[in-house]
This record gives sequence, C-alpha cells and structure tokens, in this order.
Amino acid sequence: MTTNSFAYLVFVGFVFITFYLVKGKYRWSLLLLASLIFYASQKAPHLLLALALVILVSYYWGLRLKAAKKDRKKQLWLLSGILLNLVFLFLFRYLPAIVSTTPSLSSNPNWSFLSGLLTVGISFFVLQAISYLIDIYLEVLEPERHLGTFALYLSFFPKLIQGPIERGSDLLPQLHRPYQFDYQNMRRGLWQIEQGLFKKLVIADRLAIFVNAVYNNVQTYTGIPLIIATYLYALQIYFDFSAYTDIALGVARLFGINLTQNFNSPYLADSIPEFWRRWHISFSRWILDYIFKPLQMFMREWKQWGSAIALIITFLLSGIWHGMTWGFIVWGLLHGIYMAASVFFSPFFKKLFKRLKLEKNNILKVAQVFITFNLVSFTWIFFRAKTLTDAIYVVTHLLRGIGSSLRQLLRSLIPQVNISGLTKFIQPYLLGQDNKSILILVCVLAVALLAAIINARSKKKEFPLDQSTFIRWGIYYLLVFAILFLGVFNSYQFIYNQF
Amino acid sequence: MNIMDSLTEVFCSIFEDNSIVLKPEMTANDVEGWDSLSHVVLILAIENRFKIKFNQKELLTLRNVGDLLHSIESKHPVINKK
Repeated sequence: MTTNSFAYLVFVGFVFITFYLVKGKYRWSLLLLASLIFYASQKAPHLLLALALVILVSYYWGLRLKAAKKDRKKQLWLLSGILLNLVFLFLFRYLPAIVSTTPSLSSNPNWSFLSGLLTVGISFFVLQAISYLIDIYLEVLEPERHLGTFALYLSFFPKLIQGPIERGSDLLPQLHRPYQFDYQNMRRGLWQIEQGLFKKLVIADRLAIFVNAVYNNVQTYTGIPLIIATYLYALQIYFDFSAYTDIALGVARLFGINLTQNFNSPYLADSIPEFWRRWHISFSRWILDYIFKPLQMFMREWKQWGSAIALIITFLLSGIWHGMTWGFIVWGLLHGIYMAASVFFSPFFKKLFKRLKLEKNNILKVAQVFITFNLVSFTWIFFRAKTLTDAIYVVTHLLRGIGSSLRQLLRSLIPQVNISGLTKFIQPYLLGQDNKSILILVCVLAVALLAAIINARSKKKEFPLDQSTFIRWGIYYLLVFAILFLGVFNSYQFIYNQF
Repeated sequence: MNIMDSLTEVFCSIFEDNSIVLKPEMTANDVEGWDSLSHVVLILAIENRFKIKFNQKELLTLRNVGDLLHSIESKHPVINKK
C-alpha cells in the first residue's frame, strides 16, 4: 500500500473515523495498531521484526542512558545504542542490497535469502532512533517512559516509510496531548493531501515518463535532450518527494499532529548551503547536527579547513545513506565539495558584493539562483543515472553538438519564420513523447509555477484556504478532476521509497 | 574586567563590529555574521582568551550567550568572583 494509492486513502479514512469515535486514551493505541497494520501491509513479515528491534533497543537504551550516573557510562550506552541501530540498518538495508546486486551472492542459496530482508523505511526510523538517543545524552530530551508512545513515535504511519525524520522534542509531546477536533486543521490537512496527490500523480509521474525515456537509455542521446531530461529530473524529484511529504503532513494533521516541514522552495535557494536549508530539511538538519557539528568542533583547531573536511565527510555519508552505489557516493561527494568550497569562497563574495553595493541587487540574486539550480541539477545526474558509466556518459555528452543545434535553430527561424523547419528541429527534443503528453506537462508546470507565485505573494501563505467558498471549492474540484483525468496511474513508487 | 566584558571584546573582534552588546538571551540570529562557520572561529577565540577547553557535549548544547557564559564560568570560578 503506497501512500498515493486509493487503498491508502480508504485506510486513512477508516482509521480517522475509528480514531474520532473511540475514547481518549485508546486513541493512541489505535494509531499504533494502525501503524503496525500499515507496515505489515508492505507484504514482508520481517518488516515488523526490524521495526520491533529498533523500538525495543532504543526504548531500553534511552532509559539506561538517562539512569547512568557517570559520563563514561552514559557514553557507553550512547555508543552501543547507536552501534546496534547501525547494525540493524546494515542487516535490513545494506546487506540485502549488496546481496541482490552481486551476482555471485544472489545465485548462492546460502546468501540469496538475505536479499529478501530488504526493509523499506528503516533508513528513516533508524535515524530518528539515533537522534533520540543523542538528544537524551545531550540532556535536551527526557526519555519516553511509555513503551506504546515511544513505539508510536518511531512508527507513526504517515511518516514511517519516508520521513520526515522527527526529533523527540517535536513529536513526543504531541503524542501526549489529548486530541481535540479542529476544523481549520482538518481543512488544512485535507488540502495538503490533495496537493500532494496532484503533485505526485499529475506532475511528478508525468515528468517521470519524459525522464525515464532518456535516462533508461542514455547512450542513444547526446546534447540538448540530455540537458532537458536532467532539468526535468530535478523537477521530478522535487515534486515526487515534496508530494510524499505533503501527504504525510496532511494525514498527520487529521490526527492533530504537526510534522516537520521538509521543503521550503529549494530551487529558489541562492547558494548551495541555502539549498540544504530548504531541501529535505529534517534530513539535512539531522546530518548537520549529528555528523557535521561534532566533526567540525572536533577539528576546530584547523579552522576553515576543519569545517571543509567535516562537510565533505558529512555529505559523503549522506550519499552512502541513500545507497552503497557509486552514483550516490559521487552525488554526496559533489555536494560535500560544493559546501566545502563555499566555506572558502562565500566570505570573499559577501565582502565583494558589499563593497560593490550589490547585496540587494535583483539581477545578481536571479543569477545566483540560476547557478545554484544548475549546480544542484548537475549532481542529480549521478543520483538518477542507472550506473556510474551512464552518469559519466551523460556528463561527457551534455554539451556535445550544442553549437550546431543552436545554429540549426537560428537557421530554422531566420530569415523567415519557418514552422515546418522549427517542428523538424524540435522533434528530437521531445524525448519521443506525443504532443498531448507535452501539452499536459507544460500546462501543469505552468499551474504549479503560478501556485508558487501566488503563495509567495500571499501573506498568510494559506491560498486557497483564505478565499471565498466559491473559489475554494472551484479549486478543490479542479484539482480532483486534474488528478482523475490528467494523472498518470502507472503506479510509480515514490523515489525516496527505495531509501 | 569581568567575563561578560572579555566575552564582548571577543565577539566584537570576531564579528568586526564594536557596537555588539551581549545579553544572556542572545542567539546566533541576533548577531550579524554568527553562522555555523564563524561559530568555530568564535569558540576557538574564546578558548584562547580564557585559556579553557570546552568539551563536545558543552559545544553541542549551547543555545545562547547565557549558556556560553555559564560554560566559561564553570571552568573559571576565580574570574567569576572578581
């Protein structure tokens, strides 16, 4: 049951009605039960085992950490707790992946069964469990004494498979609060779910058709089609992942729970550090707080060099978290190098722009946003390409033949506008898709852009919830019809489902 | 000179701004240029100035200037009494 399926919507509706009807203290037990059923419905019995192991170990270790008197003892509990969680992550996430991609192991019956242990969601709830233990060690969080509440903290179904990765101090207090029906929150939640479904089914999955046409077969393309497909993938992964997050946040709201906002217009960032403050926020905060900062402080004598090395290590690990393949490793490394470079260059540029009085210059800002988007899109090549060889092919063929393409374009436009010449010219860049599909894509992207602009300009950022009934319901229905008629129902998984 | 004055001096020299007036509830958001990168330089300067060494746990739980002051004081009770 994926969270963009009809079955999931029915499930959420059923859980909500039951949740609403049962008495106060049973509500959280019901949510826990629903979360376990949801997880079990992913059709692999060992999933619950992996989840139970992480829950029990982190719960017990949290209590012992708090009870330990001496700092050495606390450190021992902390390190062993983190290590055990990493062992679970390795067993249920990396080992199966290694076995299934290594032919000599996957064909060996002594090993092949391991590939079946692959556990969706574990990378997310293991990070959450580790942050829980570290926060108790740092004494910024009290351990949760109720096992059921703790289990729900790790397994709450809207965020179980793909996050957001919640801090104990954000989510645990909310699980202790008695539920109160709040009509406004309900409306916000439902609208967020609807937006998420639209983003996923109408935009992301439509983009996927274009992107897959190229990226599943890169060797047959050179130049502009590769560039277009890479830009489209940058859009796809944003719409796909933020759609999941919208649905997760929306569903959680129905139960009166506010989860962490994971995205804040990331492609409007004007630098790579700013991009990471806006992209997959719950994850970037995690790696910065629990990997980067301790490393940076450990190497503080080395000043900027210490920060730069800490950033490279942090983002390399972030790549490995996504998967032990060269593509993800290079992706992480590139972001690490970008971030490390900004340690040295950003103070220089800041001073330069200040001296030239360009700090508030709009043209400079647009240029910075454009450059940042291109730097990020470049890294997505390694994230998306099927193999490192494919990625290297894309990188080395991105700009091939661009000059002649542009000359051809000019020739087809000048001296007189020549429609048939233009159509002939554009043909190879449509990535083999039909006109209808292209028209839909262009229209929905335009709508998404328009919505982003309206929201950026409105003060409360609550469009269309603050509009009159007529406009509001018009938009609700428009989106429902768009999903039904323009949606792509190929049942593509969410991209981040694999992590 | 008490700890607060010395600390203010360090802040002024690191962030190149002599008008900084520290208050215990101040956070990185209240001082221009205090980000995660300049934070390392600041911590290093404080350690050198007061001849102390912070441990990881202290560094990871600092929330504001008050916490910073408290950490320095806990390592320098003598200075505190002056």
